Amino acid sequence: MKEHWDSRMAFIMAAIGSAIGLGNVWRFPFVCYQNGGGAFLIPFFIALFTAGIPLMILEFSFGHWAQTAPPKAFKKIHAKLEWVGWWTVFIPFLVALYYVVIMAWCFSYMIYAFSLRWEPTAESFFLKSFLGLTTEPTIFGSISIPAVLGALALWVLIFIILYKGVQRIGKVVALTVPIPTILLLILTIRGITLPGAIDGLNYYLTPDFSQLTNVNVWLSAYAQVFFSLSLAQGIMITYASYLKKKSDITNNACIAAFADAGTSFFAGFAVFSIVGYLASTQGLGIQNLGIAGPELIFITYPTAISLLPTAAVLFGIVFYIALLTFGIDSAFSMIEPMTTSIHQKWHISKTKSTAILCSIGFLLSLFFTAGNGLYLIEIIDHFIAEFGLVTIGLLECIFLGWLVPISLFRNQANKTSDITIGKWWDILIKIVIPTILILLLTLSVIDNILHPYQDHPWYIIFIIGVLPLLCIALLSVFFMKFQQIKEKTNHA
Amino acid sequence: MLNTTAIIMLIFGASILYGGLAYFLYKALKSKE
Repeated sequence: MKEHWDSRMAFIMAAIGSAIGLGNVWRFPFVCYQNGGGAFLIPFFIALFTAGIPLMILEFSFGHWAQTAPPKAFKKIHAKLEWVGWWTVFIPFLVALYYVVIMAWCFSYMIYAFSLRWEPTAESFFLKSFLGLTTEPTIFGSISIPAVLGALALWVLIFIILYKGVQRIGKVVALTVPIPTILLLILTIRGITLPGAIDGLNYYLTPDFSQLTNVNVWLSAYAQVFFSLSLAQGIMITYASYLKKKSDITNNACIAAFADAGTSFFAGFAVFSIVGYLASTQGLGIQNLGIAGPELIFITYPTAISLLPTAAVLFGIVFYIALLTFGIDSAFSMIEPMTTSIHQKWHISKTKSTAILCSIGFLLSLFFTAGNGLYLIEIIDHFIAEFGLVTIGLLECIFLGWLVPISLFRNQANKTSDITIGKWWDILIKIVIPTILILLLTLSVIDNILHPYQDHPWYIIFIIGVLPLLCIALLSVFFMKFQQIKEKTNHA
Repeated sequence: MLNTTAIIMLIFGASILYGGLAYFLYKALKSKE
């Protein structure tokens, strides 16, 4: 029997939980600061309304229309498009492999927070003692045992959440969505009451309107919206496929998008208040502090926590629990499309498909727990974000916008939604969004050719960044052809 | 103290994001009734 969400709220919470993750804390505030501070909100909102929400409506209505996971859903559009669906679900699975490792680091740091173990210097502790970072990506170094144990615990947790189906997901997200938001509120209140916090917030919010004439700022806004909403990963298509026939599409998409963007904006206060405090305590300029990526959460933030006048341990624990709860619903949402797709293609039970994928996932995650793990994560993440997701988003717009009448999905959304969308939405999906994505892709290609990522040699970039994407593209075609190959072998 | 332009952007951002979220949540609750 087909599974469905218990309630509308369960679906909304699951979509919000998937969209809100570590990126809301470590990416948005930095991108905002880097691209004109408060002025960045203008292109960000325009990108949200012209690309983020329309694409989310497309993914929701496509999943709702198809009532199946991405491979079968694309097959319904055209028999030869099944591989697009497989590629779509392979990407989040690949991301989950290292996302779980980053969460395992957070898990270790949550335990370390009890004794502020990163003292006296958080940078040296993280890079040398904890990661055992090697001098270059080709040197594996030693495996980090805390990271392996953390990854094992998280993969087991993901299995427990997923194997029972979406009803259990609905129950889990009822906790994992509000808890980190409350914890973020606590951290923000603590942050803004610290000396120097206002200077940090001035950095974050003071607008530099001259940046609005810079095309890269606009592209950054579109890229931020695109990555933050968990689009082009098959997650929203899969989640929407579990909606009942009469479910609202447009309003649900708007709620999920606004909740995600609102959390990103709010996270900026937690980040910049504490960064401002750190800068004022140490007499450093904010521009000299790491305010993005792993550097923010494993070096800058712990350093600031150590300097807190009271309750440093408590705020350390609160911070890492917030990150873990932010991350867990994103992590299992990255596995769900793949488990459902395998379950549907090979008719094996959900328990079995989840167990197989979590076991494979854990084994592959081990690659990122070695001394070169941080390099691997940074390179592969860069290529998935700049090329993998953008390409899939583009393919979605082309195949769903041009191969079938786009009115099919507009009517699907309008049939059940309170808010109806007009023909302007067709233009956004068919012309505006693909144009922006092509522009983003072209600029990324040029930029990566002119400036190899972090100045790594080409062979490293190819093996770590490009090869995994090519491999999953080939695997996607193989998965599509699997039935035919099997039948041919049986005949022979 | 936050400078004036930062306060304006704070109000601008918060009113669109949280105002928008509140509006769509209200719509969802209303349709449930």
